[in-house]
Amino acid sequence: MDKCPNIVRYIHEYLDGDISREHELELKAHLANCEKCQQHMHELNKVTAFIQSASHITAPSGFVKGVNARMPKETSRAGMKR
Amino acid sequence: MDALVNKRIKEVLKGDQNAFTEIVELYQDKLYRVCYRMLGNKHEAEDIAQEAFVRAFINIHTFDTNRKFSTWLYRIGTNLCIDRIRKKKPDYFLDAEVAGTESLNMYSQVASKEELPEDVVLKMEMQERVQYEITRLPDKYRAVIVLKYMEDLPLQEISEILEMPLGTVKTRIHRGREALRKQLSKM
Repeated sequence: MDKCPNIVRYIHEYLDGDISREHELELKAHLANCEKCQQHMHELNKVTAFIQSASHITAPSGFVKGVNARMPKETSRAGMKR
Repeated sequence: MDALVNKRIKEVLKGDQNAFTEIVELYQDKLYRVCYRMLGNKHEAEDIAQEAFVRAFINIHTFDTNRKFSTWLYRIGTNLCIDRIRKKKPDYFLDAEVAGTESLNMYSQVASKEELPEDVVLKMEMQERVQYEITRLPDKYRAVIVLKYMEDLPLQEISEILEMPLGTVKTRIHRGREALRKQLSKM
């Protein structure tokens, strides 16, 4: 894999959906013959799946109230220009 | 949503503070989530996300309504998170969440750079583990990874939020992914 630095770059371009047709063809041809790069790509795919498995969280109840409590007072609008 | 938000912003600019509350309601989950993913601590995430909304309110006159409001809001939030990460004192958490019983406390009480013993990491629940690995990322990679993979934002928008060239965003995402790959190689 140390001999395939461009390929690792292409793998990342591919993962970003940002790869040119040329690079994609080169990547595919290379992957067919290089187990190390295949493995590298597999591991990066696992990383993406892992991160995306994080559950969607929501703001705690009382969040909006908390913001309102921290707002500058209506009477002293020092910071707010209009 | 942007048309509605712009309408509310105009009302805020005319002095109607309640219109801002509606904006907070619309964006609270998005902003809280980003802060939580970046900081790895619920207490801090709430604090920073609320602070971001207050700053957005104070500076609302500087917002250009031709742009996307969420981009501007995310910028305020991520900047505050990055500041907090950099200034973080190692003992901050110790008194911050003593009362909490959240499962995240165990590791959010250690500095993010500090590694936990491997057997502790392996015993973590999946959700805990995801957050733990993100918090271990250097902060310059953490922001791009959170925005891309947890908020699913386009690279161009991430570049606007973080005010850095698109090329830098790409490089950081690549390096962030490689860093995570190494971190996860023990899995």
